[in-house]
Amino acid sequence: MIAAMPAPLPAPTFDAAAAYPEVNDLRKALDAADWPAVQAVFADRDADGRTLLVGAAGDQVGTEPFLRRVYDAHPTDQLAGTLLGNQLIRAGWRIRSAYRAQHVSRAQFEQFHEHLRRAERVLIDVTARYPDDAAAWTQRITLARGLQLGQNEARRRYDRLAREHPHHAPAQAALLQQLCPKWSGDWDRAFAFARECAQAAPAGAPNAVLVAEAHLERWLDFDTQRERTAYLRSTPVVDEVMQAGQRSVLHPDFVDRSGWVWVRSTFALMFSLTEQWPAAASQFTALGNLGTEYPWAYVDDAEGYTKYRAKAYAKGGQS
Amino acid sequence: MIQHLDVDGVPTLLAPTAGPMRAGLTFRVGTADETLSRAGITHLIEHLALAPLGLADYHVNGVTAPAFTMFHTQGSEADIAAFLTAVCEHLSDLPVARLDVEKDILRTEWSSRGAAAVDDIPLWRHGARDFGLSSYPEWGLGALTADHLREWVARSFTRENAVLWIAGDRVPAGLRLPLPSGVRQPVPAVSSALPQTPAYFVSGARAVVLDSVVRRSAAAAVFSGVLERELYRSLRQESGLSYTTTTAYEPRGDGYATLRALADALAEKQDAVLGGFVDVLAKLRVGRIEQADLDATIAKREDVLGTAEVDAARLPGYALNVLTGEPNLSIDEHRAELKAVSLADLHDVAGEMMSSALLLVPRGLTADWAGFVAAPTHSSDTVEGTTYPAKQGAGALRIGVDGVTYLGTDGPLTVRYADCSAMLTWPDGARQLIGSDAIVLHVEPTMFNLHPAALPVIDAQVPADRHIAMPARTPDTIPQPSTADQPARTPANRPWWEIAAIVISGVAVLLVGAVSLLVTYVVAAAGTEPGEEWLWGVVVAGWLLTVILALPIVLLWRRRRG
Repeated sequence: MIAAMPAPLPAPTFDAAAAYPEVNDLRKALDAADWPAVQAVFADRDADGRTLLVGAAGDQVGTEPFLRRVYDAHPTDQLAGTLLGNQLIRAGWRIRSAYRAQHVSRAQFEQFHEHLRRAERVLIDVTARYPDDAAAWTQRITLARGLQLGQNEARRRYDRLAREHPHHAPAQAALLQQLCPKWSGDWDRAFAFARECAQAAPAGAPNAVLVAEAHLERWLDFDTQRERTAYLRSTPVVDEVMQAGQRSVLHPDFVDRSGWVWVRSTFALMFSLTEQWPAAASQFTALGNLGTEYPWAYVDDAEGYTKYRAKAYAKGGQS
Repeated sequence: MIQHLDVDGVPTLLAPTAGPMRAGLTFRVGTADETLSRAGITHLIEHLALAPLGLADYHVNGVTAPAFTMFHTQGSEADIAAFLTAVCEHLSDLPVARLDVEKDILRTEWSSRGAAAVDDIPLWRHGARDFGLSSYPEWGLGALTADHLREWVARSFTRENAVLWIAGDRVPAGLRLPLPSGVRQPVPAVSSALPQTPAYFVSGARAVVLDSVVRRSAAAAVFSGVLERELYRSLRQESGLSYTTTTAYEPRGDGYATLRALADALAEKQDAVLGGFVDVLAKLRVGRIEQADLDATIAKREDVLGTAEVDAARLPGYALNVLTGEPNLSIDEHRAELKAVSLADLHDVAGEMMSSALLLVPRGLTADWAGFVAAPTHSSDTVEGTTYPAKQGAGALRIGVDGVTYLGTDGPLTVRYADCSAMLTWPDGARQLIGSDAIVLHVEPTMFNLHPAALPVIDAQVPADRHIAMPARTPDTIPQPSTADQPARTPANRPWWEIAAIVISGVAVLLVGAVSLLVTYVVAAAGTEPGEEWLWGVVVAGWLLTVILALPIVLLWRRRRG
């Protein structure tokens, strides 16, 4: 008897709707400019769920006029302000594009900043009215970075949010970016913050992903291939990535809640890069074909995903 | 109860006190009544009136504020009577023999005062006039004469323009107030140098300060207390970013009050203090005002109203209201007003505060991201006139019949002669024009290719009484262009003699060249007889002269193209 050919692995998708069906409902509501339907999607979500949905709404290009109308009609509405603010940030960031600062033209920068300033004014109001809105504060941490308001101001915003939501991983990830040298931070502070987030959260929580992210950012920042390879092979790095995994995605208490695709994606990549293939394979298995733009954009998106998944399955075994 | 009496035609207020007797004589004149070129005149008169009393063995003092001047003391009935009578006598007959000494004392007082974060705010809000003048040095002192002072006394230090207040059981026996008669002076109109608010400016201070103008009301006074509690809680208690968080509410005398808030910051935390400050303001602006803060602030103010000394304590403020024509309330009326203040009232005040706000931010920061526009640091227009390029860099000075403009790379600075509050003049020729909008324009003759007649034009156009003579500068403080960096000038600004030089040189080159050519041809064609070899010398000399004459053309031409 001829052994059955293994079914080809499904192509990866970074579409949030594939992982979270509510994102699909949100998109439909936004496309239909149906405000009550948008509100219904957000009803009864926790902070992680709201931040995830707000982020997904930002990917929907062309919704700004609708959100502006809703906000103008309901200037004290928490959700309208958060969604409009986020939409303005994303539109601004699309202008800035993914380049680093030195490759952005002056005109692009001015438009980028103008979008961010408009977003900031909306979100200042939202957080003034609803100081426990994790999604709005998360956006304002990103804004502090884009508007270059300073390290301490970004930290103050995070601390303000952390008072109500001490373990809000998306906000922690937003601040971690600010603490990296590319945004005038330094590695000591970045790693200290990442470790602090991992330790403070209960075992099985997703927050140890910050440690994996910090190593990922550190790895990317090296100038030479030789340094990068050496970094990924160094025992303390390999061990710390594994410990972070054991505290989160590999922990029996870990649950796939809002944002889990980003968390497992980051570990899948970091386990692969540090050649801890069985652990990488377990994350790819949990992901199925799901993924998120971050971190896969750093390794050629779907191409990197497919490459590392194949390697992980080959060397770590498909469970 | 505050009793209204009359002493020698001066309205007099009397309130009981359990402590020692205190009294003050307040006049409705202050720095806001002055002009920049006479700045310091009120303060100088205040000093002269007190100067002969310098060695009195009781406590005496004088205060010169933007809208009032006050002489006050504490002591026995006899001391108080002697003090106030003496002040009035000295005002009527100024001890002008001490003029120069007191001027020096005032200059020392100015130079030894510590610069505070809020010092610059008046000039940014109002310009170099009326309520903005308190930001400036007392530049008028130098030119002030005894006659100037007597004129100012006759206008301002009159019995109609004064109010006497006494905390004690009666008017001291033997008190005379021999003041000249005059008229009550209205509070000067308030100017604005801010085309748009909320605005911000950058300062070297290590603090964030908000300055605003709100309608005078019990709610605004309470709001000041609520804002202070909010700043303390947010910036000090919760985040540990600031040490000092204060607010101040001060009636201006025209139905409005200045409402200010300050939060200091460590050098490395200034960005976070600004962010936290903006969020506190936003919280109050959207109306999230804590009932507990309102209750606590009202309770505190009610406590003050309940003390036995309340009337004695409010005499100075009460006197100001009399002088400015603003209403004075009884304690019961104050209580009723206080009780009526609601959260909605405070929300209204927050809105007024924000719409009139001027925010001072530490250097290196901005507040445009929070909806504040940058207060003007440049002029919106330029004058017509002759343009003189700077010897260095891209700037130029344009001097016209209406005013002067500095054309800099960041934008123009224009001061029109008619709007020039004062012009500082140095013996070395330097001038500094200060516009009524507080725009400052430096004219350093060493740094521009000025026509010799340019400076006299400025001097003639700025009215002479606005010139302020400054002491000579040491040579090392006079700016000089550095020799290393001589920029090319633009063709439009070539002096006329360059063209003339090129033309004259050109004609000379043609003439001498033609002669040289002719002599060369003749000598070469006809040959030279023995003894005529010197003719070759003539040929060489002729050509040499041609080259020398052509040299200026080449050099000037190259400069033009460069």
